[in-house]
Amino acid sequence: MAVSLRDSLHLVSDPRNLDASVEEVFQMMLGVTCQRRTEPAPSEPESVTAVIGFCGLLTGACVFRAGRTVAMRMAALMSGMEFDSVDDIVKDAIGEICNIMAGAWKGKVPDLAANCGLSIPAVITGSDYRLHVLAPKFRLNHIYSFEDTAFDVTIVCDSLQ
Amino acid sequence: MREIRALIVDDSSVMRKIVERSLRQAGLDPLVVNEAGSGSEGLELLKNRQVDLILSDINMPVMDGLEFLRQVRAQNLAPGVPVVMITTESSEEHVRQAIQDGAQGYIRKPFTSDHVKERVLPLLSEA
Repeated sequence: MAVSLRDSLHLVSDPRNLDASVEEVFQMMLGVTCQRRTEPAPSEPESVTAVIGFCGLLTGACVFRAGRTVAMRMAALMSGMEFDSVDDIVKDAIGEICNIMAGAWKGKVPDLAANCGLSIPAVITGSDYRLHVLAPKFRLNHIYSFEDTAFDVTIVCDSLQ
Repeated sequence: MREIRALIVDDSSVMRKIVERSLRQAGLDPLVVNEAGSGSEGLELLKNRQVDLILSDINMPVMDGLEFLRQVRAQNLAPGVPVVMITTESSEEHVRQAIQDGAQGYIRKPFTSDHVKERVLPLLSEA
């Protein structure tokens, strides 16, 4: 029988899965405690955004966005190097962390893990840009903090089969 | 412990550093690391160098990790050398596919050095 996720929308869109995934990834890959918070992340003139596309039974994207200083701090924790600009290594680190978060998130629902693929990360830097998706099936947008910094993660699903 | 020559294949330079650090934290010392940014680069490197351990990402552009693994086995580039796949793909199907293609182990991201120790060290003592 063909697998369908249509009846599992409540499982796939459970916000606790995203929180658990982000916390787990930060603890294991960066060695820091990260928690969800309600206050918006402080805005920085320049931000770094990584996007991982989902394909298969669920289509959509996992989007990670942080200010440049947060992105550089994360890259430093991951690589053991110090950064004073958003260079290719910082972009690589942010793309990879978004990739791992997307994988951890889909892994929380077994049928999603087995029937949904991930794209290669795309990383965008700049200022004053927004993500627009027409009529998504569901959207989760959470803000998290670690040390004294904050960032946000969005899961947007535009179709579920 | 004897010197271990590892090949780490990942398109992310940051992940290659994390894997190297995890291997050292897992107790692999002395360790000589060879890095490749793609499956095809990894194949070229194996034609000229001997290694004791291969760790490869799966989801890479140009040549993915599973194709790299198939080529390593088909061309007999690293006979008897354990290959451990590292990936974000979490389904059992991916694990089965990697084992069927000739991998000896599998590490899911995110991981810690304890996971690396648990999955890699037994393979080196068997080799």
